Amino acid sequence: MSTLKIGVYICHCGGNISHYVDVEEVRAAVAGEPGVVVAKTAMFTCSDATQQEIIADIREHNLEGLVVASCSPKLHLFTFRETARRAGLNPYQYTQVNLREQCSWAHRNNRRAATEKAVRLVRAGIARTNLTVPLEPFKIETVPAVLVVGAGVAGLRAAVGMADLGMNVYLLEKEAQPGGWVNRPGKMYPAGRVGKEIIAQLLAEVQERERITLFTGAEIVEKSGSVGNFQVKVRVGGRRRQEISLNVGAVIVATGFDVYRPAACEYGYGFTGVVTLPEYWDLLAAANGNLIYRRKEIKDVVYIYCVGSRQDPEKENAHSYCSRYCCSAAVYAALQTAEINPQIRQYHLYRDMRTYGKSELLFTRAREQGVRFLKFAGDNPPRVEEQAGGRLQVTVCDLLTYGEEVEIRADLVVLVTGMVPRENEQLVKVLKLPLGKDGFFNEIHPKLRPVETVVDGVFICGAAQGPKDYPESVASALAAVTQSAALLKKGYVELEPLVATVDPERCRWCGECAAVCPYAAIEKGQYLYRQVAWVNEAVCKGCGGCAPVCPGQAIDLRGYTDAQIKAMIDGLLKGGL
Amino acid sequence: MNYDILVIGSGIGGMEAALKLGDMGYRVLLVEKEPSIGGKMILLSKVFPTLDCASCISTPKMAAAAHHPNVQVMVYTEVKEIKKNGSGTFQARLRKKPTFVDPALCTGCQQCETACTVAVPDQFNFGLVARRAAYIAFPQAVPKKAVIERAGTSPCSFACPAGIRAHGYVSLVRSGKYEEACRLILESAPFPGSLGRACYARCEQECTRAGLEGPVAIRQIKRFVADYYYGAHPEPEDAPPIAPSGKKVAVIGAGPAGLSAAFHLAKKGHAVEVFEAAPLPGGMLRYAIPAYRIPREVLDRDIKNVTTLGVKINQGKRVTDLAGLKDKGFDAVFIATGTPRGRKMKVEGEDLAGVVNALDFLRDVNAGRVSLQGKTVLVVGGGNVAIDAARTAMRLGAARVTVQYRRSRAQMPAHDWEIEAAGREGVVFEYLAAPVRFLGENGKLAEVESVQMELSEPAADGRRIPVSVVGTERKRPADLVVIAVGLEPETEYFGDQLAVNADKTIQVNPATLQTSIPFVFAGGDVVTGPSSIARAVGHGRRAAFFIDRYLRGEDLAGAEVEFDCRLPVVSKEEVLKRQESYRDLPPVSKKEILREKPGDFTEVELPLTEEEARSSAGRCLDCGVCAECRQCVATCPAGAINLAAKEAEKEVEVGSVIISTGLRLFPAGGKPQYGYGRFKNVLDAMQMDRLLAPTRPYNTVLRPSDGKIPNNIAYVLCTGSRDATVGNPLCSRVCCMYSLKQAQLLTGVLPLADVTVYYIDIRAFGKGYEEFYEQAKGMGVYFVKGRISWIEEKEDGNLLLTYEDIENGGKLSRAEHDLVVLSVGFLPAPEVRGLFSAEELAVDEFGYIREVEEDVNPGKTSIAGVFAAGSVSGARDIPDSILHAGAAAAQAAAYVERIRGKK
Repeated sequence: MSTLKIGVYICHCGGNISHYVDVEEVRAAVAGEPGVVVAKTAMFTCSDATQQEIIADIREHNLEGLVVASCSPKLHLFTFRETARRAGLNPYQYTQVNLREQCSWAHRNNRRAATEKAVRLVRAGIARTNLTVPLEPFKIETVPAVLVVGAGVAGLRAAVGMADLGMNVYLLEKEAQPGGWVNRPGKMYPAGRVGKEIIAQLLAEVQERERITLFTGAEIVEKSGSVGNFQVKVRVGGRRRQEISLNVGAVIVATGFDVYRPAACEYGYGFTGVVTLPEYWDLLAAANGNLIYRRKEIKDVVYIYCVGSRQDPEKENAHSYCSRYCCSAAVYAALQTAEINPQIRQYHLYRDMRTYGKSELLFTRAREQGVRFLKFAGDNPPRVEEQAGGRLQVTVCDLLTYGEEVEIRADLVVLVTGMVPRENEQLVKVLKLPLGKDGFFNEIHPKLRPVETVVDGVFICGAAQGPKDYPESVASALAAVTQSAALLKKGYVELEPLVATVDPERCRWCGECAAVCPYAAIEKGQYLYRQVAWVNEAVCKGCGGCAPVCPGQAIDLRGYTDAQIKAMIDGLLKGGL
Repeated sequence: MNYDILVIGSGIGGMEAALKLGDMGYRVLLVEKEPSIGGKMILLSKVFPTLDCASCISTPKMAAAAHHPNVQVMVYTEVKEIKKNGSGTFQARLRKKPTFVDPALCTGCQQCETACTVAVPDQFNFGLVARRAAYIAFPQAVPKKAVIERAGTSPCSFACPAGIRAHGYVSLVRSGKYEEACRLILESAPFPGSLGRACYARCEQECTRAGLEGPVAIRQIKRFVADYYYGAHPEPEDAPPIAPSGKKVAVIGAGPAGLSAAFHLAKKGHAVEVFEAAPLPGGMLRYAIPAYRIPREVLDRDIKNVTTLGVKINQGKRVTDLAGLKDKGFDAVFIATGTPRGRKMKVEGEDLAGVVNALDFLRDVNAGRVSLQGKTVLVVGGGNVAIDAARTAMRLGAARVTVQYRRSRAQMPAHDWEIEAAGREGVVFEYLAAPVRFLGENGKLAEVESVQMELSEPAADGRRIPVSVVGTERKRPADLVVIAVGLEPETEYFGDQLAVNADKTIQVNPATLQTSIPFVFAGGDVVTGPSSIARAVGHGRRAAFFIDRYLRGEDLAGAEVEFDCRLPVVSKEEVLKRQESYRDLPPVSKKEILREKPGDFTEVELPLTEEEARSSAGRCLDCGVCAECRQCVATCPAGAINLAAKEAEKEVEVGSVIISTGLRLFPAGGKPQYGYGRFKNVLDAMQMDRLLAPTRPYNTVLRPSDGKIPNNIAYVLCTGSRDATVGNPLCSRVCCMYSLKQAQLLTGVLPLADVTVYYIDIRAFGKGYEEFYEQAKGMGVYFVKGRISWIEEKEDGNLLLTYEDIENGGKLSRAEHDLVVLSVGFLPAPEVRGLFSAEELAVDEFGYIREVEEDVNPGKTSIAGVFAAGSVSGARDIPDSILHAGAAAAQAAAYVERIRGKK
């Protein structure tokens, strides 16, 4: 077997690997593998210093292949490809072996066996590397335009942000009016501004910018193309229903959230006088001197927190997450209530008061104003009953007064409802957006790539990604602007060359491959006078789904060819230490 | 514009902003005040709620920032001032602090760190362990380059007139590197043995420890070092040959100044000849200072350090003709003839036989020509020479030795310990008394007439002049009077060749020591008048430096900065402020043996034992941090270390500014009732994060008091947050979550340990956080609602926590734990204040940068074009900081586009 000159680096990961795997033994065991000319261990291979060392080694030994046995390629594949590139080695002749997630963390109690497994994994990585060939990424010119889906506060601000960076923006709103949940008459924390005015300000900014086109009553129906150059079909509503095609480089999804709708009788929902928090905001906005509900003056208000949030995860379809914004929003509503009429008695029944950060000051102020706070346990929630005469009675076991059962008569019960993911089936289908366990759109990584999704070029922001208050939604919208601008302003994107290839000599076009391709990347093509499968390399994700279904073994995956996979299996089976 | 965007602070927020702006194609300058980028996150163990390794998240961003083609990283740099230009751009003034390591040469091998002799608390491990003064911030540092921390020059080293790095050799002795210590002294002066015995030790007067229990015994440490080294090396060590310069220098006078100059000139490759009028070299060291203070063999060994370099000493040769030296081929001359002549008292009878000058007396004794068996001796004067004369007289068998001094004891210039030792040896002191007449018979002294003195009222300059009291004259018989009232130079024979002052000292340029004749330099007592050995040695070194420049034809003016490499002296107050308290470490007491019999010139001062020397050196406070012991310089295989590096200022024009300087931890000592700093087993959460991190200092979790593995750990939430009593009513947002994270990690690391979290509210509000809280509960972490009121320490180091047990009847309860972690909150970072000179950067009532439109333009500040990213405008967790930084980046880019459009 022909070999390349290969450098192998085995990472301690600061102990994450070396506490459970004898990395020195792994190094010794693989140092004599075919092709290996450098074999070293390092405390943190990803550290700049070790990267420099690798670069020096590649140059000194004219290495033709690189193997780093460290963590998941999700974390550092690109790191070390870049290291290889800086040293003048083709980045696709790099292999990352995952010794952390797939070995040390999984086998913490058996150092011998973990070490042996590590050796086998590294051997497989070396075997694959020996069969790599230099590959070049595909360069695709990017379209300096972006599609923003959703014209709530996040989408509006994202549109303005993109336009300010010289991008054309198509802003889509499903409803007839832009503005989303913020577009309401009440004041909002933390700025104390009226929601409608915030939206009006942003809309004015949108209108000032010629680069932005706003479509209302509009929905995305189809998307094709790839990162940097998407073709999107949009159905624009209104009387003259029509479909238009847009060409954009990226998509920002800012479709927001929905308010939790309590089930019938959940905390008395359905009784007269039991309202949700957004309903209460409208009441506050309409108040003039006194707080009136159904022509009756309100004197006693009870708020029940965590309605639709922090639900028992054991229950079906539970919203077990915290909705983040509601504690501060409810406390802010209490302050507004006290401002309208300080005589109104307010009782807040909460679980944990999550007025984080500077919102803590709202909580302090509310207590100073005489607002009463009672704490209940999650497994012993308050009961709401309707009494004769229409008054409401709330019974709660208050942990702050040593578990005393307290009965409160109320004119109004405000259910502090949380945020739930919006129904977005169509959008999810078209954009292939991933959902998290909580039902919100899922980012790739909350810290490394918080507004990116697994679909390249499709970004998420605002409460569509998870509960946020509106300034936080705006911040994440601008982060999505930054991320998409970083993608589009360069003028081109580089796509992975690790895609499927068809050997036309072997292909007899049966269509099996096209049928399984989840990305519609395989089409019928022409070779000599025959019909063969043709792979659209810009669309192919390199998932490899087509390769095993081909009856004629005509499809191979670059970077993971059949020959490479076989060699890796041989490496794994070669024997232990 | 030099850069489109300046990003200040390279924590996770700063890096995110810089990288994304760089990706967009903007040119970014990323400035960091620490030696590495990465901020606080890189120091954490894992991060919530994903329990990713913090290093794994940070290192790729750090490496990417360091290598991004559009991002320029400047570490160890402070932004001094930013001004807005009319065009909307900004002018930023940066101060690049010297690292004293050339980053282009440093390979990050850490050998300097191993060699460094100074240990200071490691701020990157939050004081849990020490690091060296030469250090790399942490294993994943970017750039991985060493830095030498220098707060300035230590007061002892700064004060030394000889330019000896006192702190350096003290530090070396502390590390047991005695020979290296002596070699360090030998870089500055050839006389470690003599100086270790007879130096006046200005260093000790300046020692910061003097303000505590007493100074470090620096001089005695030097003597220890010299004795040790000379014991190991009776002959000088072989040194690499020095390339000859082809120049010749004559040195007149083989005292401390002359020999020092010869020593340094020879090291520069010049051929040096010393001309000495006396029969042996050493000057005052040999002829004035008695052998019981500097044993002659020590002096001889000191002088060998000079002669081994090829310096030729012509003994018994007085040279007075300077032009003649030039004719003999000398390219330069150094005059260091000292003050060989005693001053006269100008009283009647001074010329009688039996009235001698102290210098002549000591010189004769050293020549072995005197016996005073049974004689009565009067010594006149109050300086060290007077004491030397008196104690010498005792040793020569005198029956009675009296020292007469015309002022009081308080004004006496001689050192206290010398006076006391003399007293113990039998010398009698008479203060406020002076001779007025010496009476003789047949030209030989018989009697002394003395008078009582009194001190006048202080004159305008505060000095009190002694005046004689009429009618107090008294006569007494005396065999010998030794006059020790001062010394003066003997420069008459140079008078017609050189400019000489009225007091007979030679006129020189005080910086270069050049005389009125360009090729002639002068230094030591002949220039300063009677001074000290150290000052003379310093003059010799200074003269050698400038003579060398003169010989190489280089400009002398302005070279002072090259000669004097001292940094500004460190303020003692600042040094003492570094620690809250100091352990009481009394200095070693000075021990002298007394004269046992007549003629006993045995050295009186006892040497320090090795143990005493090391423990004395251990009292050093490392005022300057770096001791300048130069071990790093000697060790560095790349030759990267340059202790003479200077700070640099740089001014750049930038389009927009992003401030991401983060925040600071609440100092846990600010809640004294929790005992942090007093109780060893009370840690703050940052310390616990370090104990849990992959690069953790102890490689396990243990409690500090006794190294025991804790099995019952308490978390005290809201330490310094939601607490008006400490001035921080805000919630710090992350403490609940990081405590949950640590609790989960602890249950993994210490499966048998109980972890209890004392909380007010558990604020698990972010994506995945509530689930993380549930996970912690599922792992068996206990949660108790109730704020801790106070903590007490038990004898075994365990801690008693008093709290209101809210959910169980609200009783005041107590719980015992063996380790307590204070979940400290955050305070705003002070760096942002004063950054802008003309515009006002608005801050909120707590000191966080005010976001003027926080809802629709998050991060926008009161100055257009300036944006806040991350926690600098309020505490944020990492995901929120990253989003916030993205928001700042988008707006900074938009601002740059706008001002570009206007141009």
